[in-house]
Amino acid sequence: MTLFEAILLTVITASTPLLIAAIGELVVERSGVLNLGVEGMMIMGAAVGIAAAITTGSSAFGVLAAVLAGMAMAALFALLTLGLATNQVAAGLALAIFGLGLSGVVGAPFVGVQREGIGQVAIPYLSDIPFLGPVLFAQDPFVYAAFALVAGVSWFLFRTRAGLVLRACGENHASAHALGHHVLRVRFLAVLFGGACAGLAGAYLSLVYTPFWTSGMTAGRGWIALAIVVFASWLPWRAAVGAYLFGGATILQLHAQSAGVPLPTQLLAAMPYLITILVLVLIMRLRRGGVAGPQSLGQPFVPDR
Amino acid sequence: MTLSRRNILLGGGALGAAAASPAQAQAPLNVGFILIGPVGDFGWSTMHDQGRRRMLEVLGDRVRATQVEAVAPPDFDRVATQLVRTGSRLIFTTSFSYFQATQRVAGQNPNVFWESATGTATARNLAIYNARFYEGRYVQGVIAARKSRSKTIGYVASFPVPEVIHAINTVMRGAWSVDPQMRIRVVWAGAWFNPGREADAARALIDQGCDVICQHTDSPAPLQLAEQRGNVFGFGQASDMTRFAPRAHLTSSVNNWGDYYVARARAVLDGSWQPTDTWGGLDSGMFRLAPFTNMTPEEASEAERIRDALAAGTLHPFEGPITRQDGTPVIPAGQRLTDDQIRAQNYFYQGIEVQMP
Repeated sequence: MTLFEAILLTVITASTPLLIAAIGELVVERSGVLNLGVEGMMIMGAAVGIAAAITTGSSAFGVLAAVLAGMAMAALFALLTLGLATNQVAAGLALAIFGLGLSGVVGAPFVGVQREGIGQVAIPYLSDIPFLGPVLFAQDPFVYAAFALVAGVSWFLFRTRAGLVLRACGENHASAHALGHHVLRVRFLAVLFGGACAGLAGAYLSLVYTPFWTSGMTAGRGWIALAIVVFASWLPWRAAVGAYLFGGATILQLHAQSAGVPLPTQLLAAMPYLITILVLVLIMRLRRGGVAGPQSLGQPFVPDR
Repeated sequence: MTLSRRNILLGGGALGAAAASPAQAQAPLNVGFILIGPVGDFGWSTMHDQGRRRMLEVLGDRVRATQVEAVAPPDFDRVATQLVRTGSRLIFTTSFSYFQATQRVAGQNPNVFWESATGTATARNLAIYNARFYEGRYVQGVIAARKSRSKTIGYVASFPVPEVIHAINTVMRGAWSVDPQMRIRVVWAGAWFNPGREADAARALIDQGCDVICQHTDSPAPLQLAEQRGNVFGFGQASDMTRFAPRAHLTSSVNNWGDYYVARARAVLDGSWQPTDTWGGLDSGMFRLAPFTNMTPEEASEAERIRDALAAGTLHPFEGPITRQDGTPVIPAGQRLTDDQIRAQNYFYQGIEVQMP
């Protein structure tokens, strides 16, 4: 394998948790809810995922448990922001902090337990394609899940009626309500989907990427996912570009350091952020403005009775 | 008697008094610990926690401990003040990131004894302590030179502070003692603890041809990655990390703060506490090397010989001649760097082709 292939391979794995979490949050925000608690849901997914995997001995069960844990956290957030119409920013921040703390408790008995990570699954025939094959089609199942999520969410949002309703709730919840759509129900489902994705991203970290548990292991990836959604101007394909760009720049700067590129390492370390922002802003410029955020983003909705 | 908090406290006090000898009946000493990371980081903070447990085990009723983990440096003052207020008389602050703040609060609280794990100066009521981890780094360098086929060591570093810089220098000193052709690549992860990024750094190093990974970050991720890749070796940091990489692990530097904590708490109890500057080497027991694994008997016995020579003081990693990267001489042959010079090292040695950030 050439160095270039090795780098691409690493870039894809490094970007996958960001992409999965960002796609989930993108759907949530499209429905008009701002959930800042991605980090908390993600780390709960990581903790519960590895806890379940170690207890049952099954990675598949671990992944399922992680998804459910993310959804449970999201349900808690939904209870506060949709049920009680509390401030979404405050509730989201609280969720992030709560998740970090609770995951430490959940994971405590599993500190130091060693476990085999989930391996790669080569897709027959496709993985034999020169160059593209080993990079794209000999990855772990989460990578394929991320590809599928981008395509699926893009199709759902812009090609289905349900997706149109979801976007309508995000753009103007009063009008959507007047048209007879159940705004809160739609938002609740969107928030649950976001939680499931964040949980899945967490499971990727604790079951594939660095297969062990330590508290705080998400190390801010949930916040990066949030930023990617905004810079992608709420479009799934741009989120994919943003996530791979960010992951790519992160890995490349490590390679640049290792190869002894004569630039200050502090500057190199800042590169992922600079490049991602720059490229996504450029895309927005070229497309003349792109999409502004959903108009009802972050506003609580209380249907009149 | 109803079970209230007051009654429990009274009971505890009575027990403590009964255990102490009648002549010096005294309340137990409250000892505070402030940790930079989570107790479960498998590394630096885990080992301080074990030191605290050891202290409680040995001194029993004569001490009590309060520990606050994962304290970010901006929260330090608040946590330290809270510990003082709740009666801690001896407080261990276990990171260099806290050092300046510790100096400040030590000045404000002259009746409390402070101990900073790594620091650059003592004060009337402030002691500093650290271990000479560089001795372990020298052994790592020797082993790495024996194990590496590509003759390139990969170093996952945290921040460019003297502790890390002199460790990199010393690894290469050890490696060159075996093979002067040895080279090193360094990646700064910009964190003491970020498993994902540490693993990414190790990936980049391995992809560029490094086949022995040294790490100066706290999680087992780089070592575990070496295991996954196969044919790559690594060293554990702060605790015995053998179980994370049964086929890649060579040795770990295992910290042991327990005996120091026992001695210091005892010194406060009998009134002999002094603001000391402790820098313990392999001979002090403040750290040891985990059993050598994945090495031939010859390689292991060589490593043991080097380790014992370092412990005995017959081999010194900072013996002259020492020349900076740019060719400026530091000390000539026959001299040795002083502790202060080692602690202030901010340059790479000549022969290390890595740019100082």
